[in-house]
Amino acid sequence: MRPKITVALAGNPNSGKTTIFNNLTGTRQHVGNYPGVTVERKEGRCRHAGVDIHLVDLPGTYSLTAYSAEEVVARNFIIDEKPDVVVDIIDASNLERNLYLAVQLMELGVPLVLVFNMSDQARARGYQFDLDKLSRFFGARIVETVGHKGHGMQQLLEAVVATAREQDCAEAQPKSGGNLACRASIRGPQASDGRIDYGPDIEAELEKLTDLLRQSGFSGPKYNPRWLALKLLENDKEIRSQIKSPRLLERVDQSRERIEKRTGENPESVIAGRRYGFISGACQQAVRSTIEIRHTISDRIDAVMTNRVLGLPVFLAMMYLVFYLTFTIGDPPMDWIEEFFGWLGSSVDTLWPADSVLKSLVTDGIIGGVGGVVIFLPNILLLFLAIAILEDTGYMARAAFIMDRLMHKIGLHGKSFIPMLIGFGCSVPAIMATRTLENRRDRLVTMLVVPLMSCGARLPIYALIIPAFFPKAWHAPMLWIIYMIGILLAIASAKLLRSTILRGESVPFVMELPPYRLPTVRSVLLHMWERGWLYLRKAGTVILGISIVLWAMTNFPGLSPKQQAEFEKQRQMVENSFRSEPQKAAALLEEIDNRRAEAALESSIAGRIGRLMEPLLRPMGFDWKIGTALIGAFAAKEVFVAQMGIVYAVGEADEESESLRSKLQNNYSPLVGFCIMLFCLVSAPCMATIAITRRESNSWKWALFQLGGLTALAYVLTACVYLGGRLLGLGI
Amino acid sequence: MTTAETLTASLEDYLEAIFHIIAEKRAARPKDIARRLKVSNPSVTGALRLLAKKKLVNYAPYDLVTLTGKGEEAARDVIRRHEVLRDFFVKVLAVEQDVADKAACKMEHSIPGVILERFIQFAEFVEVCPRGGSKWIAGFGYHCDYDSAMENCEKCIAQALEEVKKKKRQGGKKKMPVTKLKDIPPGGKCKVNRVAAGKASSRIIEMGVVPGALIEVEKIAPLGDPIDIKVKGYHLSLRKEEADGIDVTPLNAR
Repeated sequence: MRPKITVALAGNPNSGKTTIFNNLTGTRQHVGNYPGVTVERKEGRCRHAGVDIHLVDLPGTYSLTAYSAEEVVARNFIIDEKPDVVVDIIDASNLERNLYLAVQLMELGVPLVLVFNMSDQARARGYQFDLDKLSRFFGARIVETVGHKGHGMQQLLEAVVATAREQDCAEAQPKSGGNLACRASIRGPQASDGRIDYGPDIEAELEKLTDLLRQSGFSGPKYNPRWLALKLLENDKEIRSQIKSPRLLERVDQSRERIEKRTGENPESVIAGRRYGFISGACQQAVRSTIEIRHTISDRIDAVMTNRVLGLPVFLAMMYLVFYLTFTIGDPPMDWIEEFFGWLGSSVDTLWPADSVLKSLVTDGIIGGVGGVVIFLPNILLLFLAIAILEDTGYMARAAFIMDRLMHKIGLHGKSFIPMLIGFGCSVPAIMATRTLENRRDRLVTMLVVPLMSCGARLPIYALIIPAFFPKAWHAPMLWIIYMIGILLAIASAKLLRSTILRGESVPFVMELPPYRLPTVRSVLLHMWERGWLYLRKAGTVILGISIVLWAMTNFPGLSPKQQAEFEKQRQMVENSFRSEPQKAAALLEEIDNRRAEAALESSIAGRIGRLMEPLLRPMGFDWKIGTALIGAFAAKEVFVAQMGIVYAVGEADEESESLRSKLQNNYSPLVGFCIMLFCLVSAPCMATIAITRRESNSWKWALFQLGGLTALAYVLTACVYLGGRLLGLGI
Repeated sequence: MTTAETLTASLEDYLEAIFHIIAEKRAARPKDIARRLKVSNPSVTGALRLLAKKKLVNYAPYDLVTLTGKGEEAARDVIRRHEVLRDFFVKVLAVEQDVADKAACKMEHSIPGVILERFIQFAEFVEVCPRGGSKWIAGFGYHCDYDSAMENCEKCIAQALEEVKKKKRQGGKKKMPVTKLKDIPPGGKCKVNRVAAGKASSRIIEMGVVPGALIEVEKIAPLGDPIDIKVKGYHLSLRKEEADGIDVTPLNAR
């Protein structure tokens, strides 16, 4: 027996697979990605009976066709990496559908262990299993477990090690009947040979194709020819693409046609029907149902949750709770973090002896940058706490069920609703929340349009501008208009993306509504921790990098020595001449400092870019000052307000600053004010959003597309509004 | 159908009844069977013993009755014969529904397979052939009742010709009317006949909606689109456009 074996955990979604994986590995796990796809790869280890077990948690799938990226990943892992044992976690209270995957694993001919999880619930529902009989049907050991209580884990590990031993024994004597001989010695002569009788029509075609595949030498050690033939009859795209011979494919098509003619159904349907036939045959012989429950507790909960009348209000209330938890409860910790980093910056500032570039880099660039990363953590942790609870209880599927009609209209899936909603709070957690979407196209579209949901950081901009330019009666409607523009643009862009570059059939809404379950504290916290860590590790570094670049852009090259000297001279003069009036002196000094900051920003890289861009900004009614502030706003949208404060030399300004408002009123028309809001709403999302999009889409291409696309859209739209407004004489 | 051929008419009735009861309740009790077939409890026990001996049902005294794989096949065969006959009586011979049902009940046990297939083909032919069609059947009903159908012949043929031309222009072929899953109201039950090939079909099939599977429509989403169905003991949601590709036979508790 080898001292180290690899074990893959397969199973349907909602079968309790993750709980068992966590039980077995504890914290000794590692989360990564499968190369090239955004499917998560979880690995961990544990020890049993002197054997090191390397566990790989495959994505949860219902089947092993090439239907989704998850299924392809799971299947390819089993075929390519040849785990020593595959463990299929089965929800024993929903046996028939869960066994469908087991049948496919059995057909792959892998050493299999079946885990009847949630066996307590199955028993409560009155099922009695004849495990010996079932184990003979599937040619695999069967272990009963209760995942959330941790029952049956030792038995599971024992079965895994025993199955691996058997496999070794089979490999040691390949000529004397190999695998089967070994299995038979352990489990008696009736062990299944992993074949399902597909009936005369299909079997005839299978035989023909199997022979053909053997002759063309395609099968090899990687694939078993019967399995390959079966997949081809099922029209499996992934396998088809591997067959290069057009003649062979033609033969496959002919076979499929013959089956269709003879049975009157498409071959996939016949094959799946036979598999289910095998399962129900096995269940009829080995499963007894002693009591009959017409409506489970879960059904009764659903009678309220997805009720035709109550469903929508309940859903809205739930969404309010999620929003409240994420943003209202998340607010105080965010303030603490902000205060802490502010304190840290200022204490370093006072302790550091002399002004220098390095000091500015540390206090403004690095401390500010790290603060900008950590500030999102409360939101992310709380949001994922909420999402983990929604997912683990089973409500998430209901939320999608309720919202699908609406989302389907714009070409998306019901599950896109939650990320879009979270987008009103902050795009960063919202984009992370798109993980619940299984289809990559849906996920990308949602990610790309989420920034159009006006996030909380844009509110200070509106709060500064609306009172500056519009009469009081217009305040609320104006804000509403801005939010509505965002929503409408999101809908339009989603539709546009769905019909152009991310075109494709909309994903069918064939989704399980799993029974309601009580989530375990452990799994919810683990999930939350994973997401938070992933954010810090992957997106955090990018955000930190960009914020240092932005710091450099707004600080370099700084004032020339001549300008420096000029401001120093002014200070000296004020200090000397107002010695007797300290208050007046302070006010004058502050004004000088403000002007100095303005001059510094103007001569910085950002300021120069702003100036350079001015001709480009003209059609939107913007000058270089707004341009410079917009560059700063890339760090975080609300920075726009502070930057406007600096360029207008009013010092540290916030959205309540009356002096800044009056400067704006004097310099711009209400039309320009509206254009600023519009541009800030639509244009380049903040760098944290770009970083998280890069992370979640796994490509810079999409992140840059989001950046460029939204900015271009903002530019065109704002220019149209400005020029149109001028033409019509509105708000000049 | 070697097993079915050796069964007596009454045993076939038992199989059919057990199948329907299982469709409704997942498992059958002897007293349900007795009630449904209007027979005494001892005769049910006797029949169940016989069926168990032929390995068509799983039966032990005081236990629930389930069908074996073989038993289910035999039961489906009986039911199919029943349905074909009933449909033929109603659709082609214009007989009333319950009269047709009763007659089918009696005839289903003795009709040979070849003749049964011909019944199906003929019914289809009548549906599709421009000289047949529903109007023709209606005319036949009129003929049965009033015995004077020859007077409108020319008009009728002219009409038929007109329709052929129209159909040709539209380029469509008249299809047999079928019930779709989306037409089943919440609370209704049905049996899957066919899942049309489409983008979602393979996923739908894998999730257990295979021909022959029993489905209970649970509810419709608040906004009216996805529907929630119960299949193989669990809940599955589907959009109506996906449910449109699933042909079913409504099952009403008789």
